[in-house]
Amino acid sequence: MRVAVCRPQVPFARGGAEIFTDELVTELQARGHEADLVSVPFKWYPGARVLTQAFLWRLLDLEEADGKRIDLVVATKFPSYLVRHPEKRVWLVHQFRQAYDLDRTELGQFGESAEDRALRRKVQALDRVALGEATRLFATSSNVASRLEQSTGLRAEVLPHPPQELDYRCSSYDDFVLSVNRLDRSKRIDLLLEAAALDPAIHVVVAGDGPDRARLEELARARGLDGRARFTGRVSAEELADLYGRCLAVFYAPVDEDFGMVPFEAFLSEKPVLTTTDAGGPLEVVADGRTGLVVAPEASALATAAGWLREHRDEAASLGRAGKAVAAEVTWDRAIARLLA
Amino acid sequence: MRVGYFSPLPPEKSGVADYSALLLPALRKRTDVVVARRGRRRAPRGVDVALYHVGNNPDAHAWIVDALRRRPGVVVLHDFVLHHLAAGMTVGRRDGHGYLDLMEREHGVVGRLLAHGVLDKRIPPLWESRPEEFPLSSFVLEHATGVIVHSRTVRDVARAAGYEGPVWVVPHPAWPVPELDSVRVGEGPVIGCFGVVNSSKRIPELLRAFADVRARHPKATLLLVGPISPGFDLDRRLQRLGLEGAGLVCEGWVDEPRLWALMAGVDACVNLRHPTMGETSGSVIRALSLGKPLVVSEVGWFAELPRDVALAVPVDDREVDILTAALELLVTREDVRVEMGSAAAELARREHDLERVADLYVAALEQAAGGDVVSDAVLREVSDAAAEVGITADSAEASEIATRLAEVELGR
Repeated sequence: MRVAVCRPQVPFARGGAEIFTDELVTELQARGHEADLVSVPFKWYPGARVLTQAFLWRLLDLEEADGKRIDLVVATKFPSYLVRHPEKRVWLVHQFRQAYDLDRTELGQFGESAEDRALRRKVQALDRVALGEATRLFATSSNVASRLEQSTGLRAEVLPHPPQELDYRCSSYDDFVLSVNRLDRSKRIDLLLEAAALDPAIHVVVAGDGPDRARLEELARARGLDGRARFTGRVSAEELADLYGRCLAVFYAPVDEDFGMVPFEAFLSEKPVLTTTDAGGPLEVVADGRTGLVVAPEASALATAAGWLREHRDEAASLGRAGKAVAAEVTWDRAIARLLA
Repeated sequence: MRVGYFSPLPPEKSGVADYSALLLPALRKRTDVVVARRGRRRAPRGVDVALYHVGNNPDAHAWIVDALRRRPGVVVLHDFVLHHLAAGMTVGRRDGHGYLDLMEREHGVVGRLLAHGVLDKRIPPLWESRPEEFPLSSFVLEHATGVIVHSRTVRDVARAAGYEGPVWVVPHPAWPVPELDSVRVGEGPVIGCFGVVNSSKRIPELLRAFADVRARHPKATLLLVGPISPGFDLDRRLQRLGLEGAGLVCEGWVDEPRLWALMAGVDACVNLRHPTMGETSGSVIRALSLGKPLVVSEVGWFAELPRDVALAVPVDDREVDILTAALELLVTREDVRVEMGSAAAELARREHDLERVADLYVAALEQAAGGDVVSDAVLREVSDAAAEVGITADSAEASEIATRLAEVELGR
């Protein structure tokens, strides 16, 4: 089967969606399909540019390429699903959340002017039309599916995907809590730093890069975490696998996250996940006391939980092993079989 | 966003006033609303969009249409047939020519001739005798930048009448059920009919059907709640059907608490009508909230009610027979009543939830207030980019771009 995987690309940025789509192409190819990635740059500001840039997808003709038919397209996140194709499958990573649940929050984009309000509604209208055209609609998590249904009335089948290919292993349960994420305000890495400030025994390693890095580094300095909080920046696959393999636990608590591959990556390294009650998608796999610890989104609660894991390493290992069993259930074989069925 | 809000409001007695009293607080939680004083024909200062509630009663709505004519805005069309309103704003203001012109514009020369007949008192006023054949809604729609309707039926009728602007279907909101003690008016099954008692509510047909049912089920009671229209001789009809004093309770006009109490005490509600003016029914919405099974006419919005909630009776020569069968079913089958009642309550929760309705209003108003500016910005950027690479407005490429824009509702 000839498959075009569609994803928007914010130049110079790379995150979970990019990893997911790259892996999807690789996994499709590994199963004998002719798969390729179709990517269009995306910029969502200022003003109506979110619409005009989204509209670029609508002008693409992906019915065939170089004289050969493309059997189906798999669109992933806004605005790639505006693409036209008679066999359009959408595997929704997320909508343009600024037009939905992030509206009127500090992470929102649209102001209170009549134009901004209407702009937001146009984004919603685009979603209703473009997602409504999908011949099959999947969502990477229940959280994404329920947001979709709430906002558009469209129902998606929940289809999680495995995390990126890494040399997952569990070598030890050292003293540090690992954060793996883009350094973005919505990922709430400051919560972890504040927790470390409350308990001098907590060590933190923050892997990843992003626009919030300077603020987070300043926060770590201001809280006197020198020597206990290490910012690694973007790390190689081998370094990442090593960090996962050695950490005590993995912290992952974005605000109402779509899905997030980090919990699965932690689980495959037999590490428990430390998250919060408002984290959204991760709560579908992180069960408090079974595969990790779920606490209130407060530094003190996180500090207590991290301290408990440090004092109970056998239990931490046991939570991590239970997580591994959960992650093992999510395979590319199963995901691709459903996607192409 | 600031909304100028034109509507009759309590203590004015009208369905639209009650509607606005219910909707306004929910709307105000979401956006800045400035209510226009009754009679004011200018939109309040600084509003981004004006919202006009329009129904068929000229006493309640003429000033609102006057304001709409000064400043176009979003019209909530509570009735599609606006002949009575149009007549009130023309003939009622000694503007016979205005009425002639309106009739000619919608109905051609025949319309103008009929209007002459009305003005010369040679034929009965059309707004009383045949309004549904001459809706005269265009004089309102032509000033509407968008229209909110309560049913798909009215949306389709507005489209068929040539309205090309945006139309949003926003269900009628449900009132919260008040704390109340229900009042039962009979020992056996009670069928309630709430609203004005007249022929267009199909009361003669209802009485005939009920008389038939009661002959077999003497404990059944029919409760009529609402004022009797002048000229509708209820007593004579009851006498003829042998229903006087037996099995029928007439309450006349009642206040809101009494209305709820009586409705809560019935086993099923009947709400029939023909012709329909494109309206919804506040009584039906209340009945849904209370989880009452319904019998309705198969017309307009009423025909859109799901079959597991309302038994639909066609308005044709089978009407009384089918109505009789429907009443018989509801009088005799408690299990059916329970099932339909729970589907009714679920429908009220799902479709007619006040918060949902207010969200839909805000969505419509936001699109109306800034939609054109956004569309213009999109079209400008796309057409500039196209022109820069030599795509001219009359080319096939430009036509394809326009098609693609329209597909995703980015065109104008």
